[in-house]
Amino acid sequence: MMHWQAALSGIWQSPYLGLLLTLMSFQAGLVLFKRSGSKPWLHPVLVSAASLCAIILLTDLSYERYFESANFLNQILGPVIVALAIPLYENINLLKRYWFAFVVSNVVGGGVTIFMAVAIVYLGQGSDVSVNTMWTKSITTAIAIDLAPGIGGVAALAAALVMFTGVFGAMIAPSLLRLFRINHAAAQGTALGVCAHAVGTARALEMGSVQGAFAALSMCFMALLCALLLPFMLS
Amino acid sequence: MLNGFIILLIFFLIGEFIANLFAWPIPGSVMGMLVLFIFLIARSGIPKSIKHSSETLLPYLPLFIVPASVGIVGHLYLLQQDGLIIVLAMIASLVVGIPLCGWLMQKILAWQAK
Repeated sequence: MMHWQAALSGIWQSPYLGLLLTLMSFQAGLVLFKRSGSKPWLHPVLVSAASLCAIILLTDLSYERYFESANFLNQILGPVIVALAIPLYENINLLKRYWFAFVVSNVVGGGVTIFMAVAIVYLGQGSDVSVNTMWTKSITTAIAIDLAPGIGGVAALAAALVMFTGVFGAMIAPSLLRLFRINHAAAQGTALGVCAHAVGTARALEMGSVQGAFAALSMCFMALLCALLLPFMLS
Repeated sequence: MLNGFIILLIFFLIGEFIANLFAWPIPGSVMGMLVLFIFLIARSGIPKSIKHSSETLLPYLPLFIVPASVGIVGHLYLLQQDGLIIVLAMIASLVVGIPLCGWLMQKILAWQAK
């Protein structure tokens, strides 16, 4: 006598289910991403999160039960963000010649995109939560998630916003840069890093190593700047 | 791997400690990153163990943000309500922001070269 039903529901109720589903969907997303030739809109996070959302909406697996099971991954995020200091340190000597132009374009360019985005949602009568979350749009996802609740926003919405700018930014940046005749490698990388974070940095690396390094630098710089200033400005 | 991860965790907790000590609303992770960055500058080099751990962990950074991203299922009403204006704001700010950042940097570099 075998207990198929009990055994199967044991798997479905297992505290490891969420972890397994996350790892599997992410791995599938990675394969899909590589097969597609790194199309930004097939970013593994997007594919993985979308399929997990679908599973949660369509089955009786609740987000709470899912998150409890996948929380292990979420908890590692803190120390891994700390590790971002290493690529920042490794690329810092690139700034010796360019630091003034770099800081100005990050602060002014980044500031303009952030204020513009916040202002549009505010004037468009978006809810307070949405307006608050918009402030995180130029911070790399991991840090945006950490920061959003402290400034009256929602972590998951921050993740969605940042993914959107990242993916969309990486898609339109090359044509925009061509249109405005921005051909300096460091300038191209900086534009991608400020506006499109990690997805933009991946795209910048395809354009060249200088672009990639400057994109990574501005991603870290913007994240640090926003994470250090925004909580004081907004709370 | 383990040694480096222990050091990263310690810096993370130092970051939390500093943020709490001064009651700064900054995430401990960001504070920890800043402290580690200053430590690396002071030491003028990256300890092997930290380098090894970061090279192992950082490629998986996107994986670690998945669980929090999935939280959007609990906030679908926000997207229903504000989704359109948010998308509009994102696109507009990108179309202005990308050329502006690149143009500024390129202009300043050209001006400095003179």
